[in-house]
Amino acid sequence: MGKGKTLFWLIPALLIIILIPPVTGSVTTREGVFLILMYVTLAVSLNIILGYTGYVSFGHIVFYGIGGYVAFYLMKFHGIHLIPAMIMGGIGAAIAAFALGEAVLRLRGAFFAIATIGVNEAVKALVNNLNFIGGAEGLFFNFRIYNTYGGATKAIWFSYYTMAALTITTVIAAYLIKKSKFGLGLMAIREDEDAAIILGVNAKRYKSLAYAASALFPGMVGAVFFFKAGNIEPHDAFHLIKSIEMIFMVMLGGYGSVTGAVTGALVYERLKGFLLVNPLFKNLHMAISGVILLLIVLFMPQGIVGFIREKSKKLREMLE
Amino acid sequence: MKRLIGVLVGVLFLAVSMGPAWAGMNKLVIGFTMSQTGKFNSESKEQFQGLKLWADQVNAKGGIYVKMVGKKLPVVFKYYDDESSKDRVQQLYTRLISQDKADFLISPYSSGLTASAAIIAEQYGKVMMATGAASDSIFNKGYTHVFQIYTPASRYLTDAMDILTKVDPKAKKIAIVYENSKFAKAVCTSAKKYAEEKGFKVVLFEAYDSGTTDFTSFINKIKATNPDAIIGGGHFADGETFTKQLFEQKVKVKLVSLLVAPAVPEFSELGKAALYVTGPSQWEPLAKFSKTSAKSAWFGLSSKEFVKAYKKAYGYVPGYHAAGGYAAGLVLQKAIEDAGCIMTNMVKKALEKMDITTFYGRIKFDTGNYYGRQVGHSMVYLQWQKKDGKMVKEVVWPLEAKSANLVYPFYKKY
Repeated sequence: MGKGKTLFWLIPALLIIILIPPVTGSVTTREGVFLILMYVTLAVSLNIILGYTGYVSFGHIVFYGIGGYVAFYLMKFHGIHLIPAMIMGGIGAAIAAFALGEAVLRLRGAFFAIATIGVNEAVKALVNNLNFIGGAEGLFFNFRIYNTYGGATKAIWFSYYTMAALTITTVIAAYLIKKSKFGLGLMAIREDEDAAIILGVNAKRYKSLAYAASALFPGMVGAVFFFKAGNIEPHDAFHLIKSIEMIFMVMLGGYGSVTGAVTGALVYERLKGFLLVNPLFKNLHMAISGVILLLIVLFMPQGIVGFIREKSKKLREMLE
Repeated sequence: MKRLIGVLVGVLFLAVSMGPAWAGMNKLVIGFTMSQTGKFNSESKEQFQGLKLWADQVNAKGGIYVKMVGKKLPVVFKYYDDESSKDRVQQLYTRLISQDKADFLISPYSSGLTASAAIIAEQYGKVMMATGAASDSIFNKGYTHVFQIYTPASRYLTDAMDILTKVDPKAKKIAIVYENSKFAKAVCTSAKKYAEEKGFKVVLFEAYDSGTTDFTSFINKIKATNPDAIIGGGHFADGETFTKQLFEQKVKVKLVSLLVAPAVPEFSELGKAALYVTGPSQWEPLAKFSKTSAKSAWFGLSSKEFVKAYKKAYGYVPGYHAAGGYAAGLVLQKAIEDAGCIMTNMVKKALEKMDITTFYGRIKFDTGNYYGRQVGHSMVYLQWQKKDGKMVKEVVWPLEAKSANLVYPFYKKY
């Protein structure tokens, strides 16, 4: 397996998107791009366990919630800056994933998927009842917290750049994992776990590590998102529908490839964002996006990028 | 490769640069998001209809008179669906302010979404009328542009204890069963504190998860502790199910007072199960707030006129979500008229000074630590009763606004 050329165009393309808001100075665009970046990071991370390893983590949003809560708690009660709080949030999520992985990754197929939903609901119920982190009422920032960052306006721009850096890091990390021996092991597990074990892949450890890696970045995304939102509540932090959306983005773009996850997230977010504010469709956006997505899944089951890869040999090594 | 990048960027540009709407001084743009989809759908729709009725009535008269411009400016709405989710609230409010040039904002439905929108309103210095958001916790967080229309959660269920004290001083045992959500928890924690202060015994204080459909275990606990009154609830669906199961199990208590659900007109579809259930409401069609009994200057139409106009527009009698929507517009209108301009600072000053009574009740804002919190408005209690074989909502509390006497005890119906 060669190093491929994917990153040479994918990173510049992402950078161009990231630079549109500061160059044009449009805050509306910034909000849109922020969501794109958030979804890209979530989809690319999920792809590590879903696409590379073949384990459908249905409740993956749990790590976004855990990271969000850890970071929010640190920022609110200990006055820690967003960056270290975000890193701690990510690490917290990764540790939780590793520990959980040791238990639930013994399950395969549908059983694993169901177990991850259970984990998400269990954590949500737990947080609902823990009063030191606000319980069902959630936690609220005092508006003053943004003064540390030079006021709310600057704080929101700061969270935008943080999210941008996070997205770039995630895409590079996901690509490097895919190209590494570790990634090869994961794909072996995906194709045939028992055969992989016989060939000497430490499947149990590999899966837990992949799970932890795929939880690290969503945890950090949660930290940035809830910093910007200014409040965190269990039903938003552990929102199962968002989990399903993440899977959808990966499937839409193309399972197992970094470009696929990025494309899926981009298309999905823009499609939804467009329908939501379009005067013609805004009352029907759910129905229309449902139909469009259904058609894509029916006629392009390998996803957008998977479809292009199949059609064009030349593009294949650029679309990993 | 270049082509691919080109296409990518092109698509992006196309999608994000949908034509901006420019607003001059010939109209007033009011921006908000509503929950057209998701779990707040029904409450948010009512609120929107109320707000729209206000705008239609104002525009029928030419708009809101702004002294500085020297003419009436018609009201124009800009709104989007927030899907009842925090994800897009900030994006859409930013868009409303920077692209749609909204002059004033109305909050989304629910306190959580309002808190996220408040950051954007605060950042851009736009006045936001918060309706459908009853939480107290938004209001000591340093925001200076958010003004609450609803009675806050801390004063939501406390009157239930006053009712008991009045009609049956011997009833002292209270069971509190509530949805484990931000709103219900805040309400019930305050209610518990109030009950204990007033010498009641809270024999049960339990939360159920949002979306609970089987209340058997809670009902068994209620039966075991034998309370005089059950208070609590959460949103519509769970309150409705809880009421139904209380009836099926023939739970014998003297007073049932639940949040949200009894106030929604569809609650009557439960039939006998709904009978004699009481609930606090921000407003009721029968509540008798009038020019003569008003404790401050009267503004706007009467309750009767509001109900009539709403019924004409939408075909049914409005609930309090609709009234809250209308009131948000009305209060904003009063503030703009008082200020004589649309500048944020002046309108804010007008809101700070405001003390009026409308069909919806009294309106006055906190200007201290809890800046913007509603301090004038108070709850009315309704009860579902039977009149000529039909289920009707009657206002039973406060006594000076009552339309019928409280039917007591609750178990009379079995």
